[in-house]
Amino acid sequence: MAYKRMEKSPTQILEKIKESLDRLNEKMDVFIEIQKHNPRTDLDQSIPDVLDVMTLLSLPDHLRKTAVALCKLGQATADEVAEQTKRARAVESGYLNQLMLMGYVKKERKGRKAYFYVEKEEKE
Amino acid sequence: MGKIIAFHSYKGGTGKTLLSINLAATYAKHGKSVCLFDLDFRAPSLHVAFASDGVECWLNEYLNGTCDIRKVLIDLSRQHGNGGKFYVGLANPTTEAIRDMSAKDRKWEMRALGRLLSLKNSLLNDMHLDYLIFDTSPGLQYSSINAIVSADVVLVVTSMDSSDIKGTQRMTQELYDLFEKKTGILLNKVPAEMLTSNAQKKSLYEKLNSIHTLPILEVIPCFCDILRAGGTHIFAEEKPDHPFTVTLEKIATKIEKF
Repeated sequence: MAYKRMEKSPTQILEKIKESLDRLNEKMDVFIEIQKHNPRTDLDQSIPDVLDVMTLLSLPDHLRKTAVALCKLGQATADEVAEQTKRARAVESGYLNQLMLMGYVKKERKGRKAYFYVEKEEKE
Repeated sequence: MGKIIAFHSYKGGTGKTLLSINLAATYAKHGKSVCLFDLDFRAPSLHVAFASDGVECWLNEYLNGTCDIRKVLIDLSRQHGNGGKFYVGLANPTTEAIRDMSAKDRKWEMRALGRLLSLKNSLLNDMHLDYLIFDTSPGLQYSSINAIVSADVVLVVTSMDSSDIKGTQRMTQELYDLFEKKTGILLNKVPAEMLTSNAQKKSLYEKLNSIHTLPILEVIPCFCDILRAGGTHIFAEEKPDHPFTVTLEKIATKIEKF
């Protein structure tokens, strides 16, 4: 038995290694996907994420509409952005959060409401 | 509420400044309150047409955040108004200012966009102006795209030049279409012999419609007397019966209904 167990060991070890490699591959795939969808990684990291017009031009259509609406409003809730874009609040909330993850938009909670803004100083 | 109109083009020298001055004059003649801004910071020109010694603040300073917009406005209602207000906002024409404006970073441009967007409130809502007209720099540059994003209506001035046509087509796809603005084309400087008969005009419009996906708002003939005047006269104001003035009237009406 002991001999047999020892004989199986290399296979088991190889299987374990294969399993680990598969898991690692899966993780790598997820990482690659995240990188693909996050423009921050496409840019030189020394350039700050600024929502200027050239950035607006590079955004996909659905996010550009949200971003332009927020630029016009200065600071707004998903509700207010939805009113401008004539799209559903939940949709705008998703897009605004996506823009926030991309680093173009900031979010601040005031009570139960979440306000999004491009830059604080604009309100000065 | 009033409208913001931006004149833009792919190439320089298409007639943006001439058309923006004359469109402003046309609306002023109708008794509307108008404001004309020179947003061509690389090659300012409105200061020549509206020579003014008393510039308290340039538009450059407003965009820098160092000056209130009301200090930028030069009130020329007495000279150019007809019951309504007539303001101009000028770009600083000194070499130093041009150099300074071309060295701005992305963050500054982002703030400048915010300041241009806020004009809708400060000038159209609070001051009840009917039209705010932007004269911009040609091509793809920050100041022009900022103006386009802030505008309600974009008027693209083109010529018969093939490189201008190609550039305008590219900008339609890669710029104008992306911001979902009301955008129309003004074909300027068309040789008069191409417009002598109705059949010729019709075939030109058909050709233009096959070239451009944007609506053709008007075809403007080339007028030698305008070229000869060298930008020293505002035809829409001084020559009410001139065919150029008549064309401007048509453009003004089309924009009102646009």
